[in-house]
Amino acid sequence: MSANEDRIVFQDVSKFYGEVLGVNRVNLSVPPGITSLVGPNGSGKTTLMNLMVGLLRPTRGTVRVLGIPPERAEELFRVVGYATQYDSFPRGLTGYQLIYLLLLVHGRERREAEALAWRALERVGLVDAAGRKVAAYSKGMRQRVKLAQAIAHQPSVLVLDEPLNGLDPMARAELIALLRELAGAGLHIVVSSHILHEVDLISDQVVLINGGYVVAEGEIGGVRDEMEEEHPIQVLIRCDRPGLLAARVFEQDHAVEARLAEDGRGLLVRTRDADRFYLLLNRVVLEDGLTVEAVAPADADVQAVYGYLIGAPGGKS
Amino acid sequence: MSAAAPLAAARQDPLRPEPGKLPWRTWRRQLLAVVRLELRKSFLGRRAVGLYLLALAPPLILALRALKPGGVSDPNDLGEATQIFAGIFQGFIVRLVIFLACVFIFGGLVRREVLDRSLHFYFLTPLRRELLALGKYMTGLLVAAVLFAGSTLASFAFAYLPYSGGSVERYLLHGPGLAQLGSYLLVTLLACGGYGAVFFAAAFFVRSPALPALAMFGWESIHFLLPPLLKQLSVIHYLQSLCPVPISEGPFALLSDAPSRWVAIGGLLALIVALLVVSAFRIRRMEIAYEGE
Repeated sequence: MSANEDRIVFQDVSKFYGEVLGVNRVNLSVPPGITSLVGPNGSGKTTLMNLMVGLLRPTRGTVRVLGIPPERAEELFRVVGYATQYDSFPRGLTGYQLIYLLLLVHGRERREAEALAWRALERVGLVDAAGRKVAAYSKGMRQRVKLAQAIAHQPSVLVLDEPLNGLDPMARAELIALLRELAGAGLHIVVSSHILHEVDLISDQVVLINGGYVVAEGEIGGVRDEMEEEHPIQVLIRCDRPGLLAARVFEQDHAVEARLAEDGRGLLVRTRDADRFYLLLNRVVLEDGLTVEAVAPADADVQAVYGYLIGAPGGKS
Repeated sequence: MSAAAPLAAARQDPLRPEPGKLPWRTWRRQLLAVVRLELRKSFLGRRAVGLYLLALAPPLILALRALKPGGVSDPNDLGEATQIFAGIFQGFIVRLVIFLACVFIFGGLVRREVLDRSLHFYFLTPLRRELLALGKYMTGLLVAAVLFAGSTLASFAFAYLPYSGGSVERYLLHGPGLAQLGSYLLVTLLACGGYGAVFFAAAFFVRSPALPALAMFGWESIHFLLPPLLKQLSVIHYLQSLCPVPISEGPFALLSDAPSRWVAIGGLLALIVALLVVSAFRIRRMEIAYEGE
């Protein structure tokens, strides 16, 4: 096995959509473990992922995934699973049918496909909803069925585009645990997010992208603590009793601000310690019966974060 | 999300072909899986209702004629039924019904999935894209063939229903009836395959199937006015030559020699293969960029 056959390698890769830059002169070598692609919306994360799996072809340069060129789909997708950011599915299928029929397209035997489909659905906690049409799933369930589709054939490289979007705190924690477990089993996991905080906790390596360029890569370890001090994390919670949650938030020393939404159904929290905030939220749900409709990081200041990290104007160098 | 055994077993790939051998069994399974998935997605839902109505139209028209009192001048004159069916088959079933159905079926096999943003699910499997193209085409052909062979068969039955049983029996069992029915079914299959391949390939070049459909419809409609050389560039020219009963194309039609049966069949099959090769080439080079749609 050559040095690059256990890595995902981008060599001088550029992608242009006509005149528009997707990514430019990307050189990356991604080792096993969890690697996060982080950047603001439109920075080129999805382009990089789509180049990795052959949904796009590079204008220049080469990509190899464990030594396999992405255009050889029949080899590549025996080892790669990809959950895209597209929130759309083949029509009329239940969650189970989606996974099962795609496993048949992989070339699996029926009985094997059945077993793998159930196993994947079990891993993402969708067994009870397996018989329902995907079109009737909630956003979080659709995220999970995409993940099930990506892991069903037991790949050794997992590519996930914004997998935490739309998941409630419990599902987030479960997904992160699953990703850690898979990484522990030796998989390459590439995750994208526009929220640095979401992924730096679980990442062995982080790649920062901005404007189509890779601006930084490597382990960022201590950067997060420093960054949170400078840039508190914002989280938007839609729930039935935001006043109660606000009162509990203000008891915490990490809370910077808690603002009620005008419609009385939401709360915007700014905190210096998102982990502790999410633990608190779980406690309020369990102990006080708070009903949470949605939780979404609302880091409007993400550009400033990148500025801070890469030393661009407006940020701390 | 429950914990489970590690996925390291994945590295032992049971589907990896033996070195130097083509994975025919896997390809066959994948092809059948594509057909199965396509049938479930596109042809078993409400979307396909229009298609079923289209297939019902010809037998319905002929059934109404059969049930209409006094619709038949002489119950023993099967020549009248033969001419009526030949006219409806060539003028309505092939030129309009099958043509429109093929625009709907084959023009949407890839295009609809781009608009639905779900084509990438296929592209994320270890399926050769050429096989995907073939599987989609085969699904379209299967659906079109079953629907319109059935429609032709039912239309044929209704065309002869009002005539005397004895005459029809003699025509079918001791006359040219069954051979003519066989020819009509063959033309139906070739029409589905030929028009289908045209619209399947066209969908890789244009966003809406309406434009190529209109252009082709115009070309096929004026076929009878075209000089012999240009007639050879139309699908209907070959289909007509395989029809057992000729129909009049009017006083302005330019006459030309009909191609032999085998040239017509061979020519249509060659056209289908050529268009499938073009489609396979296009799908192999295709990128997923839904945002531009």
